[in-house]
Amino acid sequence: MPTASRVAVAACVLCLAVPGAARAAGRSDPDSKSATLVSDLLRLVSDVSTFTRAPRQSGPVPQPIPAAPPGSPELDLNDLSKPPDLEARLRTALHPTDGVVRITIPGGTARLGDYTIGTGEQIPGHLLVVQGDADVYGRLLGNLVTVQGDVVVHNGGVVVGDILAFNGHVRRDSAGEIGGEVRTLQSASALTATAAPPAEPPPSTLETLFRRGAGAVGVFLTLGVLGFGLVMFGRQNLEVVSDTVSHSFGRSFLTGLLGQILLLPTFGMLVVGLVLSVAGILLLPFAVAVYALLVVVGVLGGYLAVAHAMGETYVRRRMALGQAMGSPNSYRYMFIGLGALAAFWIAWAVFGWVPVAGNLIRAVAVLVSWLLATAGFGAALLSRAGIRESFAGRLLPPEALTDEYLWATPQFGVQAARRPGSRTPTRGL
Amino acid sequence: MRPQLIAAALLLCASNAAAQSMRPFTTFRQWHGETRLTARLEYAAGTLRVGAGRADELYRMDVSYDEDRFVPVSDFDASDGSVTLGVAAEGGAGVRVVSQHQLSQTAGIAFSPKTDLALDVDLGAVDGDLDLGGLRITDLDLSAGASRATVRFTRPNGARCRAATLSAGAAALTVSGLGNSRCDRIAFEGGVGKVVLDFGGTWSSSSKVEVRMALGEVTLRLPRQAGVAITLDKFLSSFEPEGLERHGTSYRSPGYDQAARHLDITVSTAAGAVRTEWIGEK
Repeated sequence: MPTASRVAVAACVLCLAVPGAARAAGRSDPDSKSATLVSDLLRLVSDVSTFTRAPRQSGPVPQPIPAAPPGSPELDLNDLSKPPDLEARLRTALHPTDGVVRITIPGGTARLGDYTIGTGEQIPGHLLVVQGDADVYGRLLGNLVTVQGDVVVHNGGVVVGDILAFNGHVRRDSAGEIGGEVRTLQSASALTATAAPPAEPPPSTLETLFRRGAGAVGVFLTLGVLGFGLVMFGRQNLEVVSDTVSHSFGRSFLTGLLGQILLLPTFGMLVVGLVLSVAGILLLPFAVAVYALLVVVGVLGGYLAVAHAMGETYVRRRMALGQAMGSPNSYRYMFIGLGALAAFWIAWAVFGWVPVAGNLIRAVAVLVSWLLATAGFGAALLSRAGIRESFAGRLLPPEALTDEYLWATPQFGVQAARRPGSRTPTRGL
Repeated sequence: MRPQLIAAALLLCASNAAAQSMRPFTTFRQWHGETRLTARLEYAAGTLRVGAGRADELYRMDVSYDEDRFVPVSDFDASDGSVTLGVAAEGGAGVRVVSQHQLSQTAGIAFSPKTDLALDVDLGAVDGDLDLGGLRITDLDLSAGASRATVRFTRPNGARCRAATLSAGAAALTVSGLGNSRCDRIAFEGGVGKVVLDFGGTWSSSSKVEVRMALGEVTLRLPRQAGVAITLDKFLSSFEPEGLERHGTSYRSPGYDQAARHLDITVSTAAGAVRTEWIGEK
């Protein structure tokens, strides 16, 4: 209900109530009736004012918090000048290991839920109210601390000491008295008096196996889709990078290793260089995005090229042994290579639960994946993403492979054996 | 080139900044008829606003602080009527600003206009705006370490101010409306930086001002309604005595002897520049 509407309702109620009170006043002692009228009026205004407070979610049932057993740490509310320190102690007290909150406050009491100090009531010591509002109509002679609740010092209410509200607000009516200092500290994390949630039970072996297997299959299916696209739209570059890995594996690995080491310094130099130049600073966001994209493409493309090279080597060896392999094309190479790479992770998914062997398998899978990704990244760098063929073992350009050359050069058999001082134009079978 | 370097440094710090969290903290004290308050403000880094507040509150501070590196300070001592407010480095260590995020701390501090106030302000790396107009300042001690601070007396001081002592390390400090401050003695001591002392406002009494600056630029905005005398002790500094007449070792405004209120300024500077500007109607 809007405030204006509430005021209108209050005015109507007043109009109805006042004449009745006035009539009643005329029938008996005028002084006592006047006092009653004023009292009723104040109560009505007080009730209307309480309507303006935002409705709270229902909190815990109001009850005292039992004292901790002797020897347990106490929560001293004498000094509220360092709220973060007190918050840390409260956090410990409100999250006990056994889930049962017990707090001892020297010279004071602790309450859970809303709490009201009534008119004429006097509380001698400190007061802690957890997960509830503190309404003060009477007199509190000590300090007042609320956790997840507001403090309202109503007309006639007195708090002699300090007030501290964690995640709450403090409001004082015009005739309320607060003798000490008022502090409110908002917290990002809730300070509630509930037991810490029980730790999630570890997943079963079967569940772990399923999760890991699904993860590995998902990752390599994604790589398969990417590899399919790469073969379809960038076969020539892929084959050059793949050949570079095959023919210059050691050099590719070292280049990839160096590339990984220089990734961050190069990025830093790029950023600083662009920032120091006047026009370049405008290109900075684009340069950062392009750099990140190039790195991802280099690593991912290199990894797929390694898979392609593995698949091609496997297929050619099988064909050299006279086994039928269907059509030997790049799609087949890619999926066979990815399958081989996935085998390490599938093995870990299946046997990862075995106490020592599981960790060993995972270490091998990580090591092999990193090694091959590094070599692939290096091959992508060496071959300039498949543009440069110097390292791919392709000494003869495609146009040189004429019919005359192929007729004069035996491709299979004893005659095709490596000649001294020459390099084979194709991968060894 | 410097802005580019700062931009690059901020870019590199951006990821670090994202992990920090700001936390709101509020403190106030009800006014119970106190007549005097000694307030010390300690503010390490961020933005600070100081001014007059509600009459029924002795003081109030609303602060949003970086909880990873700072703690709020709110300590009232009833025995001598003093309070310390602000934000201090956690563990009591010195201030070390490592990211722009720390400077996004904000604080608003207000004092009752009904209580005599002795104010001691200690700023670190702060963007400060202190509007002391309407308060009852009896003593002012401001130390601006490496801050950019503006102290304003937009309204006449409600009490007679015994002394205002201002100091700055490597800061940009502007003090305006010093005529409204009603301070008998004003002293400024600066290291490096740029300082503007504006003596505008309503002059109700004479005042003595002492300015000591090591290296930097001092601009004195002088009121036409008061008789102004400047005594200069400079080494490698330039001085532009615009509108002043030389009398021996000092410079005086025309009609100094006949003026009802005098503003006597002593300036000592090693290297830099001392500029004068006139404000108010002729």
